[in-house]
Amino acid sequence: MGLHDILAANRFTVTPTGLLLNETSAQPVADPATAAGGGGALSVLALNRNRNRNRNRNRNRNRNRNRNRNRMLDAAPDGGLQEPWRERQKLHALADQWMALPLPPPPGLDGLRREAVDLLIKQALRRSPAESQRHEEIYREAGLELSGYLRPLGIEELGDYGATESLFYLILALTDEIGLRYKDRFGVLRPNQVEPRLRPLLPNPAHQSYPSNHSFQSFSVAFLFSRVLPEHPASAEMFVAARRIAENREWAGVHYASDTAAGYALARMVAPVLEQVCAEQMLAAQAEWL
Amino acid sequence: MDGYTETAVPAALHYDALWHLVTLGVLDADHAPRGWALSKPEKPTKVVVIDTSAAPDHPNLVDAIDRDLSLDFFSARLGSFPYLPEGQDQIGALPLDWTTTIADGLPRSSGLLAELVDRLSSGSAAHHLGVQPCVSPMFSAHGTNIAGLVGARPAIAQQALPGGGTADLPLPYSGVDPMCRIIQVSTNFDPAPESLILAFLYADLVGADVVLLPRVIADPVRTVPELDDIKIGDRSLGDMVRQVAPVEGEADLWSELAALIVAVSHRRPVVCAAGNAAEDGGIYPANLATDHNGIISVGAVNAKGQRSGFAPARGVTVAAPSNDAEIFDATEIRLDESAPDYDPIGVPVDNDNAKYSRFDVISTDVPGPAGYSGSSVPTDPVGAPIREFGSYFSRFGGTSAASALVAGFLSLGMSTGAMTGRSGVEAKGWLLGKCHAVGDPDAPLSMPCWDGKPTFPDA
Repeated sequence: MGLHDILAANRFTVTPTGLLLNETSAQPVADPATAAGGGGALSVLALNRNRNRNRNRNRNRNRNRNRNRNRMLDAAPDGGLQEPWRERQKLHALADQWMALPLPPPPGLDGLRREAVDLLIKQALRRSPAESQRHEEIYREAGLELSGYLRPLGIEELGDYGATESLFYLILALTDEIGLRYKDRFGVLRPNQVEPRLRPLLPNPAHQSYPSNHSFQSFSVAFLFSRVLPEHPASAEMFVAARRIAENREWAGVHYASDTAAGYALARMVAPVLEQVCAEQMLAAQAEWL
Repeated sequence: MDGYTETAVPAALHYDALWHLVTLGVLDADHAPRGWALSKPEKPTKVVVIDTSAAPDHPNLVDAIDRDLSLDFFSARLGSFPYLPEGQDQIGALPLDWTTTIADGLPRSSGLLAELVDRLSSGSAAHHLGVQPCVSPMFSAHGTNIAGLVGARPAIAQQALPGGGTADLPLPYSGVDPMCRIIQVSTNFDPAPESLILAFLYADLVGADVVLLPRVIADPVRTVPELDDIKIGDRSLGDMVRQVAPVEGEADLWSELAALIVAVSHRRPVVCAAGNAAEDGGIYPANLATDHNGIISVGAVNAKGQRSGFAPARGVTVAAPSNDAEIFDATEIRLDESAPDYDPIGVPVDNDNAKYSRFDVISTDVPGPAGYSGSSVPTDPVGAPIREFGSYFSRFGGTSAASALVAGFLSLGMSTGAMTGRSGVEAKGWLLGKCHAVGDPDAPLSMPCWDGKPTFPDA
């Protein structure tokens, strides 16, 4: 039989579970030229989705849906919190106030590539005398660590500010979760996944890029502290510290500038929610200062 | 996979595995050729595919891949012939264009051409210097999928019946041009120019009618975005972020490769994938395409006739059917609402989700557990009855798939005599003459259609 007779007499159909030969399967094919119902026991078989289609053929496809590793508060030093389950419960009760905030979508891939060129410039300048201080900061800020926030307040080594420290830990814990939800929604690839010539100083965290949680969390601390103590002389400086921490992630090569900006925008929009959820801890912190 | 009942899945989720050929107007809805007929050309159209190795024993590819001329540059510097019959350790008199002038004006490439010609002379070792080719079918998924889209033949294989014995098993799959011969030229992916120069020289030596390059070339200077024009002080950014010292003389070789690809494209079309990350203007070397050369940069459209989410929006010569990708960014919001993990929270009401298509392009895959689609049983020995055919095919996509379809389309034009001028520019002109505007009316893409107007099965 001719090649096109094979096509005319038989047909492969793609189904969600596999490839189907000739729609129905009952009997083995005796005469393929005429058997419209052929295929037998073999008729439907694996047509697996390629495990690595994202990386190899279709970079944007699975939108980098890595899941969050459990990196919450278990590493907290003395003064850290236990899992803040009460506050999480409050947070979840207010879900409709923070789940779908109007965070602008991230840049498209072409925009991300342009931002990655800026990161390559930062990488090239990272060792220059003017910027070399960032290395130490980047490594220190990689984990959950408060000195970046406590030092501007002048309480880093003082023991009387436990409630303030606890508030900061609480904000970091709650915002981590919120940020991860937005990251998952947009599924933005990390900079060196878009621009392989980048050499990040740190390993890529196991979640997506946009928005930057370092930015979101740091600015959330700044926004909330400025609600607790707007009159503190370092209130404004907290925002500068937050921006330094956020931008250090760009210098490390793990975040785009648009991630930083989105973290800021999200922190500002989430602040009214956190103010409700953390009210008790905010009052306790305030009491340490007044 | 087992235990499937035919009523388990609503028919609306089913689609024709050859939809892309119907969309291209090559086959009608009943899979009969539209306005062309199969013949046995005396001189089959030669499509040189520069990619990974392939699985030449796949029943749909066994007559498509040229075993005498396919050549592997992965491991042996001047190439080892991977698919010669068992025991054949010398090559015969190959039908090559020994006097080609393709490298004129390119001094280093001319030197390589002289070496290659010498190595290919009659009686030379099949495996250069005794070095094995690096072509295990297990790691040949990309090349196998590409080859299938270009030139797979419908086949009747033998299936092993559960109770013993065998029966005919139709494999109703076809590439765009089931008459062509595919010369598989494989290289490794070390970002070094020499083996790619050799590959393009070889494409000219064998007299390729069409060259297909469904991949990027990682030229350190020409990789998009190019960094050398960005200066920090008096140094270029490319120079400052370079991780290893440049190899002496390699910059010249890279430049010659770019010139060689253009030169090769003047003699026949060179079809290149435009990129899978929405690269404006396309990746290198697709971005070498101009009106004055035969390089064809290929973008992608999905089964709804919309630009695929991953495909470049601008700077492509033509587009062809492929799969789609979800997008959630400032350029567009196009999500698969039927995906099991789809979450409507935070998705603006004003979105393009309706443009998303779940359809993939189906192609031939490495049989057995390896390849893009796996199997729960070991690979069937070559020639033995097939125990399952699921692993012989897979979902495929990207601009790789689209470029393979365009290469097959050009090949079909040549095999049927529909296209007469064979130069790259003439072939491109013929292809563009077959094109229709598809996709966004404000930024239309040109898609070829063999006969009639393109139709999209998911629209």
